[in-house]
Amino acid sequence: MDIAPTPAPVPLVHDIPFWESVEQQDLKLQRCADCGQFRYPAGPICAQCNSEQVTWELVSGKGTILSWVVFHKTYLPAYPAPHTVIAVRLDEGPIIISNLEGPEPEGSWIDERVSLRYATMPDGVVLPRFELDRTAS
Amino acid sequence: MTRTRRATAIIGIGQTDWSGDWRRVRAGEKPADSVGYAAQAFQDALRDSGIPKDDIDGLIVGPTTAYERMGEVLGLNVRWGGQADAVQSVLQAQMAIEAGYAKVIALVYGNDQRSAGTQYGGPSAMGGQSFLSYVYHSPWGMTSQGALYALTLRRYQHERGLSEADMGQVAVAQRAWASMNEAAIQRKQITIDDYLQSRYVCEPLHVFDYCLVNDGGVALIIADAEYAERMRPDPVYILGTGRSDLNTGATSLEPRLTDYYLPAQQQAGASSYEMAGIGPDDMDVMLAYDSFSVHVPLALEGYGYCEVGDVAKFLAEKGIGPGGALPVNTHGGHLSESYMQGWNHQLEAVRQLRGTAGDRQVPGAQTVHYTSDVAGKCMSVIYGR
Repeated sequence: MDIAPTPAPVPLVHDIPFWESVEQQDLKLQRCADCGQFRYPAGPICAQCNSEQVTWELVSGKGTILSWVVFHKTYLPAYPAPHTVIAVRLDEGPIIISNLEGPEPEGSWIDERVSLRYATMPDGVVLPRFELDRTAS
Repeated sequence: MTRTRRATAIIGIGQTDWSGDWRRVRAGEKPADSVGYAAQAFQDALRDSGIPKDDIDGLIVGPTTAYERMGEVLGLNVRWGGQADAVQSVLQAQMAIEAGYAKVIALVYGNDQRSAGTQYGGPSAMGGQSFLSYVYHSPWGMTSQGALYALTLRRYQHERGLSEADMGQVAVAQRAWASMNEAAIQRKQITIDDYLQSRYVCEPLHVFDYCLVNDGGVALIIADAEYAERMRPDPVYILGTGRSDLNTGATSLEPRLTDYYLPAQQQAGASSYEMAGIGPDDMDVMLAYDSFSVHVPLALEGYGYCEVGDVAKFLAEKGIGPGGALPVNTHGGHLSESYMQGWNHQLEAVRQLRGTAGDRQVPGAQTVHYTSDVAGKCMSVIYGR
């Protein structure tokens, strides 16, 4: 049986370390070495303070669901409908678009706490995803 | 500072046969390509204006046709030109005329998106990999413009207390307007129940929340006021314009998901209100860019038609359909009339102000407000007689 390819991440010059960290299952985000602002996606300068100095930092993997949608139409063979996407506000600041794995919340998903996990797609692509954080107080 | 406006005016409007071409394309025909639709619309606008073609000294071409080819087809060798989407074209024409680079500018747009099978979602959507937002969303199966608005709407509904039935009022009202518009593609009225029972495409968006995808063209002729007044008795003036962008965090959808573009809308609105010397209470007709119904409640709040958080109440108590306190998208908009990427809204502004909008005419309309909030760029244009 054919395996539907995962829509490929396209690493650009500045975000190669990001995709490498995903593959190593150790998610790192670019951070301004001067003002401390996290950047996602990565870029050449800090939008907040114009500094060109960067570090790459491991993230806590904790976040909060901002919003979610359910696709009832199949656009991508790797994601047959119904298919769910979430927007997560990481505790470090940036918003990341991803998917929720495991149990789903009853009712609204908004403001649910989630934690990072890694999924290996059928074609071998590793993706950072989230699951409900049951340790949250 | 008092600014003297009424410096530029629309003196010609043209369009193709959207509903006829809709039927022809569905029957497997290919009535024209993008350049062909734009050329038909230009001919129509030129006839409508009654001016000699040789007076045109500026050209703005929509993003879907090549500028040089368009000028070649139309036989226009101008002294000023550009390429832009609908609302930016209007602002650019205003700027070029006020700066003296041109006196009479043709704006032309043609799009064969239906017959050419243009994809707005999926692997080849919108040039795919050249858009960073797709690179950063598609690995997780997030694709299509509609999905971006669905994600926005879900959170907006949560924060503003807008129910699905409240949201349905937009599609229902615009269809009611379209039922009175012979040029509209979808004219069969729908109810809130029809809306609620319709299928989801990307939940929470129903199919009725999505724009049509159809072939067609639109053209406008914008001139300096002195020329406009010489050529016809009913020029439609550009009274005020404003723009404000929100680009920070765009790829990760920050301005869509947390601000709903509100600060940019407020800023763009304020600039245009100041320039025109009027405000939202003075508008007879409001036209909002509506690739998805979601734009409408955001614009009503953002441009000051209701308090932030009150849009559900506004839709229910004031109303935006026929008989409502604020007529919105009286042509049916992109949801029901035609998806001409903002261009058809400019035609409707002119018709309402000329008093030629037929059964859907808002009696005595003196002012029309057009708002657009696409990809972080919020723009506001106020037209008047």
